[in-house]
Amino acid sequence: MSKVVEVSPTTRHEGHSKLVLKVNDDGIIERGDWISITPVRGVEKLAIGKTMEQVPKIASRVCGICPIAHTLAAIESMEASIGCEIPEDAYLLRLILQCANRLHSHALHEILALPDMYLPGTDTKINPFTPEEPVRSVAKRIQTLRMVGQTVGEIVGGEAVHPSNPRVGGMYTNITPRAKAKINDLAKMALPLAREQMEFMIAIYRNFQKRDWAEVGGKEIPIPKDLGYHNQGYMAVDPVYGSSSLDENPTWFPERWTEVRPWDWYMGEEEITLEDPSYPVGGTTKAGTKAWPQMEACTGVPLYDGQPVEVGPRARLVQYKNYDEKGTIGQHIAREMELMDAVYKMIEAADALNCSGAVVPDVIPQGDGSIGWAANEAPRGCDTHLAKVRNGKVEWFSMLVPTTWNFPTCSRALEGAPWQLGEMIVRGYDPCVSCATHMIVIDEDNRLVAEKLLE
Amino acid sequence: MDELYPEIVIAGCGNMLFGDDGFGPEVVERLKELALPDNVKAVDVGLGGPHFCFTMLDNDVTRKLIIIDIVDFGAEPGTLTRLRAEDLPPGSYRDAHSWDLTEPLNRLKDFVDIMVIGCQPKNVPASDFEIGISKEVEDAIPRTIQVILKEIGVENGNS
Repeated sequence: MSKVVEVSPTTRHEGHSKLVLKVNDDGIIERGDWISITPVRGVEKLAIGKTMEQVPKIASRVCGICPIAHTLAAIESMEASIGCEIPEDAYLLRLILQCANRLHSHALHEILALPDMYLPGTDTKINPFTPEEPVRSVAKRIQTLRMVGQTVGEIVGGEAVHPSNPRVGGMYTNITPRAKAKINDLAKMALPLAREQMEFMIAIYRNFQKRDWAEVGGKEIPIPKDLGYHNQGYMAVDPVYGSSSLDENPTWFPERWTEVRPWDWYMGEEEITLEDPSYPVGGTTKAGTKAWPQMEACTGVPLYDGQPVEVGPRARLVQYKNYDEKGTIGQHIAREMELMDAVYKMIEAADALNCSGAVVPDVIPQGDGSIGWAANEAPRGCDTHLAKVRNGKVEWFSMLVPTTWNFPTCSRALEGAPWQLGEMIVRGYDPCVSCATHMIVIDEDNRLVAEKLLE
Repeated sequence: MDELYPEIVIAGCGNMLFGDDGFGPEVVERLKELALPDNVKAVDVGLGGPHFCFTMLDNDVTRKLIIIDIVDFGAEPGTLTRLRAEDLPPGSYRDAHSWDLTEPLNRLKDFVDIMVIGCQPKNVPASDFEIGISKEVEDAIPRTIQVILKEIGVENGNS
């Protein structure tokens, strides 16, 4: 007899989401639904009628963790719509920004993932905020890596958090030779730290893989060897940067993308029949409460070739580097493997940059309403923005963000794990829920029927 | 280790997509039009405030952090208040990663002098996006700038 348990809200990630899980008598998940409960804001509505310079600024304010990815994807979708090629040096500056964003975001995720892990050889969970060694030095190293990422982001992007320097057509200003030297110094300082950090984290994750149980809410929960496995495909457009409809060989294909309603995808109304007051933090939802995932979910369900796909660090490594480790730990390890790459690419791009090169084209077309898209490989995966620009004004804008793709995929990955480890599987995706929340309603012929905005 | 962040840092927090929540970034925008002294930097930290104060303040140099944000303290819209890190009730601020901002501020307060200048908002549409600051909060911006200038020791002789 299946029971239903609900973990709401899930913690240690960005945004608000919850897990509704059908479990068997042994507490193993038979069907998992991971849904976003961040209210829909309607950013696509807000964008209509604004100038093409303003919309990327709006997109940047959807989230404070990856504003760089949203800014770049939005700007490039505008450029794709108006058919504007950017100068080489502007591209290099954007590449540096992209790497800076990835470096600080991946390091942040380590702080969020570490409390699930154990100090090797002990049964002590790691508290990243403890003043004791060895964790103290690790936390300092993480913060130094983040400082490098954000500082480089500020030098190139003009602001520490929401970049103001990128613009449609390229960048407002190039950087000085002194700034370029500074980026080089910072990146070279970060390189050995990134290596140490990657090796440390991989050792921690490997140690977790060898364990038989993890402690959750005072109980020893067995860890399955296939924690977080799923059989869905992967989607990535580039190992580092991205792709757009202006490319000679684009690597993302809008015709393979469909979006269905959560109504068709998630569970119907369920009564919660299992509760665990000892589950951190504050216990699970009380038995007798109703959960209705298909109505409560605030995201559409995007499919690629009719199936949910995984996006993110592992998807990039699978597509471009023959990486083959599955499961939650495989995901974490893939993320660590990207740390050094981000620093190397930053150094390469800074070396190639000509500080006196032009960063804006002579002419910026104003657009004729054609559709353009740009996919940026954000830290959490492929962030695709689509836009139609006419006479400098945005007529239509849509954001297809990484975690939206991962919601249905992760829901599949929950099956077969003890329900207490559900959140750990979710954290493997490093979810960022605020920007993943938006919804469209389409009929059977895939025509847009109405924007649905929930209260 | 880095001279990017000077002695005094002014951080404007908030999201201009939520009406009056754009107050902090707007104040910073206007501060940047003034010639601030070399030992002061104004930053629009938008939605990244908590991450910013952990990783971007210079350990050796930064002595003062001034945070500009909206604070609901039950006054008339546009009223300003000055708070210290100790005055912020735990959990009153939630950041993106389920950490509240008061904890990092309380950890930092022994190393850096922290001051929060809060403005009572009139309109913060909870989950809907709406661009634009209400008139009352708009009128508080020049006063906020005066308070900040006084705080950082800029004397223009006109206030």
